[in-house]
Amino acid sequence: MANMNLYSRGDKTFVIINMVLIGIFTLSTLYPFIYITALSFSSGFAATAGKVVLTPVERTAEAYNYILSDRMFWVSYGNTFIYTIGGTLMSLAFLIPGAYALSRPQLYGRRFWNLMVAFTMWFNAGLIPFFLNMRDLGLLDSYFGIIIGFAVNGFNLILLRNFFEGVPRSFEEAARMDGANDFQVLWKVYVPLAKPAIATVALFCMVSRWNGFFWAMVLLQDQDKIPLQVYLRHTIATLSDDPEFTATQLNASYSFETVSAAIIVCSIIPVLIIYPFIQKYFEKGILMGGVKE
Amino acid sequence: MSGVKLESIVKTYGALQVVHGIDLEVLEKEFVVLVGPSGCGKSTTLRMIAGLEEISGGQLTIDGRMMNRVAPKDRDVAMVFQNYALYPHLNVAENIAFGLRIRKESNAAVDAAVAEVSGILGLTDYLDRRPADLSGGQRQRVAMGRAIVRRPKVFLFDEPLSNLDAKLRTQMRAEIKRLHKRLGATSIYVTHDQVEAMTLADRIVVMQDGRIEQVGTPMELFLNPANSFVAGFLGAPPMNQIEAVIGEGADAPMAEFAGGKIALPKLPGLQNAVGREVIVGIRPEYAQIATAPAEGVVDCDLDLVETLGSEALLHMSIHGKPFVIRTETLGQVAELEHVTGFSAAPDLIKVFDANTGVALSGQMRVA
Ligand SMILES: Nc1ncnc2c1ncn2[C@@H]1O[C@H](COP(=O)(O)OP(=O)(O)OP(=O)(O)O)[C@@H](O)[C@H]1O
Ligand SMILES: [Mg+2]
Repeated sequence: MANMNLYSRGDKTFVIINMVLIGIFTLSTLYPFIYITALSFSSGFAATAGKVVLTPVERTAEAYNYILSDRMFWVSYGNTFIYTIGGTLMSLAFLIPGAYALSRPQLYGRRFWNLMVAFTMWFNAGLIPFFLNMRDLGLLDSYFGIIIGFAVNGFNLILLRNFFEGVPRSFEEAARMDGANDFQVLWKVYVPLAKPAIATVALFCMVSRWNGFFWAMVLLQDQDKIPLQVYLRHTIATLSDDPEFTATQLNASYSFETVSAAIIVCSIIPVLIIYPFIQKYFEKGILMGGVKE
Repeated sequence: MSGVKLESIVKTYGALQVVHGIDLEVLEKEFVVLVGPSGCGKSTTLRMIAGLEEISGGQLTIDGRMMNRVAPKDRDVAMVFQNYALYPHLNVAENIAFGLRIRKESNAAVDAAVAEVSGILGLTDYLDRRPADLSGGQRQRVAMGRAIVRRPKVFLFDEPLSNLDAKLRTQMRAEIKRLHKRLGATSIYVTHDQVEAMTLADRIVVMQDGRIEQVGTPMELFLNPANSFVAGFLGAPPMNQIEAVIGEGADAPMAEFAGGKIALPKLPGLQNAVGREVIVGIRPEYAQIATAPAEGVVDCDLDLVETLGSEALLHMSIHGKPFVIRTETLGQVAELEHVTGFSAAPDLIKVFDANTGVALSGQMRVA
């Protein structure tokens, strides 16, 4: 923390209130993680009885034993990776050139195209027409359908477009004078400049893919293609429908609470591993120094 | 021959016309400076030459080739931007090399070119730095390096020095001049700083409201401005302009104005022109100070003396109208407090028509 002596009394109060608020906020977002982790390592009995608060009760790894020995866990885990990586790459492949084009004043019919994109943010066709559309395009029950069907989202497109619009025109002009064509201006100048914005959008895409659940459930019949989140739902449904399991639940070493918690913990781990690498792109001021106001 | 020729060049934005038909021929290896007040269309004209703005009308030729519809990259011109527009993600060497890399030059050729250019510009020690880690002057040099490395036919500069402090600006101005001598490339330079224009230009183009007011060498424009606008634009401080009426004179025409009268040169337009309204132009340098009333001396009140060292600026007023005199001090600053008027040799006076602002013909002679 900075030297408190440099602050006036009013500033000190402000800083202290800030720190308290930030502390409360941090704890409130951190607690669910702690709770879920504790739950996943508790016995089924303790979990069902609601005894878990902060630390595992009747510590056991039975829930993990259960899911790690299920083939479907691994299959769906792998599928989630395919959807996340494939989907994010596909999204960027559309979003970057699309946003750049929409940001250029020389784009013919620019207002119209921008309006069309914004339109999709407020209105959509609804569940059934979209499903029928996907069916008629032959995109049901396929990896490609899930990946391409949700590649472009108006919000991300506009976010990136706004960033491109904020880059001073003289970068484009300088690159053109240097002999660059449209693609070279984009890939050699604007994309490197937009790294923080692209990282943000990529993170949004990854998180929504990683947690993507609803459409995967609707569009995928083939169990070998479902992602982890759908598997999680299936597991909860299966366990709660299993009369044998329910009957023995009171003294079970695992319950569907602990099993779902374990699945959630497993699904969080990759995000925790990747985030620090992405975070470094959230640096501000990459434009600094190139132009002078 | 890499000259640039503009014929009736027009620029319109929708219904708004901002450049109204410019004719200009820039010769090979010439250094031409466009000056004019803010918003007069200098940048627009330059950007049309660069290919960054579409030409709405007229013809642009570079090297004898029609360029109106040619993409910027195929015009073989380079431009230095006011804000430099250095690529922040690339270091100095990569910034300079960018254009060559785009043109797929071999690594060896690129390295050699970067080494040569950075040597010329004194950037050799900074090649690994990012633009953010350079001073203003160094960034300016990198921007120049990026332009010269390709050896283009034509250099375009849009107020390249306006972001530097006064001292650095003077230094970089000299450097640009040296660079031009060394490379001998055709250059078009936009500025609204008339000192830059005077010192750099082979020829100056003075613009106003999307039109060219006058084209000529710095001395031509200084000594014989075509109109009162040019007279008021070049020179620091600019030419004094006094509204006057031609009166009766014994042998030379006389200008009469509130607070005095002064003898004018014998110009054709001033013979038998009693009653004609004119503007009398006297450069601050060409007014002689007087400390007592006398024949031919215009009396004024001294408002303020600004001492610049070897010279001083006397801010006077004639019947409430400002008049500036620039004079040598010779260390006698106290004397200047006693100035009560000035005189000017008729040969050193310019006369403009009061209605049109056009200079009455006649060459000014400097002793
Ligand atoms: N995109 C545009 N749309 C409409 N008018 C424009 C546009 N760009 C420039 N103008 C107008 O054109 C005129 C000339 O602008 P220009 O930038 O060439 O001036 P300038 O001489 O370079 O001025 P400065 O010294 O301030 O840079 C100005 O009146 C300006 O308002
Ligand atoms: Mg300008």
